[in-house]
Amino acid sequence: MASLHENVRRALGALLTTGRVLTGRQIAGRAVTVFPDDVFLVSYPRSGNTWTRFLLGNLLWQNDPVTFLNIESRIPEIYFNPDRFMRGLRRPRLLKSHECFQAHYPRVIYIVRDPRDVAVSYYHHNVKAGNIPDHYPMASFVQRFIAGEFDRRFGTWRDNVLSWTALRQGAPGFLLIRYEDMKRDPATVLAGVAAFLERCSFRQIDARPEALQRTIELSSPERMRALEKQEGDQWVLTKGTRRDKPFVRSAISGGWKSQLAPESLAAIESAWGDLMQSLGYELASGTVGNTMVSQGEIL
Amino acid sequence: MPMTWNHLQHGIRAVLGKNPAGRRLTVFPDDVFIVSYPRSGNTWIRFLVGNLLDPDDPITFANVESRVPEIYFFSDQQLRALARPRILKSHEYFDPRYRRTIYIVRDPRDVAVSLYYYSIKRKVIPQGYALEEFIPRFVAGEFFEYCGSWEEHVLSWHATRRSHAEFLFLKYEDLLANPEQELTRIACALHADGVPGQVARAVELSSAARMRNLEEKHSSEWKLTRGTRQDIAFVRQAKSGGWRSELSAPLVKTIEQAWGATMRNLGYELLVDGNRQLGKS
Repeated sequence: MASLHENVRRALGALLTTGRVLTGRQIAGRAVTVFPDDVFLVSYPRSGNTWTRFLLGNLLWQNDPVTFLNIESRIPEIYFNPDRFMRGLRRPRLLKSHECFQAHYPRVIYIVRDPRDVAVSYYHHNVKAGNIPDHYPMASFVQRFIAGEFDRRFGTWRDNVLSWTALRQGAPGFLLIRYEDMKRDPATVLAGVAAFLERCSFRQIDARPEALQRTIELSSPERMRALEKQEGDQWVLTKGTRRDKPFVRSAISGGWKSQLAPESLAAIESAWGDLMQSLGYELASGTVGNTMVSQGEIL
Repeated sequence: MPMTWNHLQHGIRAVLGKNPAGRRLTVFPDDVFIVSYPRSGNTWIRFLVGNLLDPDDPITFANVESRVPEIYFFSDQQLRALARPRILKSHEYFDPRYRRTIYIVRDPRDVAVSLYYYSIKRKVIPQGYALEEFIPRFVAGEFFEYCGSWEEHVLSWHATRRSHAEFLFLKYEDLLANPEQELTRIACALHADGVPGQVARAVELSSAARMRNLEEKHSSEWKLTRGTRQDIAFVRQAKSGGWRSELSAPLVKTIEQAWGATMRNLGYELLVDGNRQLGKS
C-alpha cells in the first residue's frame, strides 16, 4: 500500500504535470518527437557529450560561439527541454540523449569513453549533484556504478554501449567515436563527424584545418571552465547543484590510474572486460574478461 | 506542428493518469517480464505461467489481463496497484530497467506469416493483401513501429542480457517440441518448481486446442481481440515451419537477406543458402 506521503507526492506530481501539459512545457525525454532527418548525439553520462556538443556547436555556428546559455537552443538535451520547443528548432536537428538503443533514432553519433574514467567522473558528478556526500568511499561508489544504480533509465555502461554497438555498428546512419580519440586528435575526429553530418543532409560545413582549429580552441576545457564559472548557475544541467564543484572537471583520459584502487579496477574489468577490450581499452588488472559478449561476436 | 486533437487527448489522459503505461511503466525490482516481438508465443507463455502458478483457477481470455497483464492496456497507476511480484507482458525492445525477464524468440519467417493474418484480423491490411507487399514492410518493422524490427528486438535483448542470471531466453520452437521441459525452465526462473505434476497440468491447460475453445467464448470481450475481425482467429496454427507452404522462395529470401546472420546464430536454418553468410555479419 502506498503511504499517505506517497499519495501526496503523486498528487502534487500530477498537478505539476497538468500545468506543464497545459502550458506546453512538459519535458520531452524519451517521448521526444523524432523527425526522419534528426541526428542524435548519444552517450552514457559523463562520456564527453557536452564537450562534443560544444565542438559541434562551434563547428556549425562558426560566427557565434557556443556558451552554456545558448547550447540548449542549438543542440538541446532531450531531458531538459520541452518537446514543443525542440519541434520548433531549425532542421535537421542535433539532439543530445543518454538512452540505450532506440529503434526510432534515425541517425546516431555515439560517444564511448573508457568506463574507468567514466566511473571517476561520475563519482565527482554525483557529489556535485548531492547524490552522495563528500568523501563517499570510491570503492562503494564503483560497486554501485557497475550495478547501474545512479540512473536506471540509462542502464549500466555496458548496457548502454552494447545496446547501440550490437545493433548499429557498421550501419550507414551510425558513427561511433571514442572520447580518447577526440582528446588525442580532435581535428581528425571532428572532420569525420563533419563528413557524417553532411551525409545526414546538414548544409555544407566548413571543415578546413583552420576552421577545425578554431572550433577546438573555442571548445577547450579552459574556455568551457571559464564559461561555466560565469553561467553555471543559469544552465539547466548545473542549476541547483553544488557550485564549489565544477561540471567541466579534469577533461583528461586515464585519470583512473591515480583515482581507482586495484580492487575497483578489477571489479570494472571483470564485469566489462571483453567489451572494453573490443573497444580498444587495455585492461590493467590482469583480469581476463569474463564470458560476457564482445561487440564483435554478438550472438 | 500545431496542437492536434491527439495531443490534447493524450494531455488530458496524462493529467488523469489514464494513458497506457507502455514504456513509461514504473518498474519494480521484483517484476517479472514476459517479453517478445509480437506473434511469437507471448500469449501462450502467459497461459502457461498463469496456469502454472494457479492451476485451480485456469487462465482464460477473460482473466488473463488481471493475472498476467499487458503493459499496453493499463495505466501505470492501475499496474502499480497490483500485488507484487507482478508478472507483466511486454513487447518492448531492450529496456535496462527490466531485471527478471523471460524472452521468447520465434523464427521470423513464421512470425511474418502469423503477423500477416493478424494484421488482416486487426484490419490493418485488407483481406487478400499481397504477401509480396507485406513482407518488405514487415522487414522494415512497419507494423509495430514501437517494437523496432524483429532483428532489432531480439538482438537488443540477446546482446545485452544473455549472460545475466535473471534472463531466460526461450525459443518458440523448443517450447512446441518440448513444452514440459521448457516450462520447467520457466518454473525454475519463477521459483515455482516445487509441485510435481504441476508443469504437465499447466501444459495441458494451455494447449492450442483449449486456447482456441476459450478464444471462441471470450474473444469479443478480450482487450486484444475486441473490435478485430471475429472470423479470423487470434490463436492460429500454433505450429512451426508454416512459412514453408505460405511464403514463396523470393519472399523467404527477402527475410533471410535482411536477418540471415542473426537467424543462423539463433539456430534457424536458412532456406536460400545454408552455408553462406547472408545479410550483415
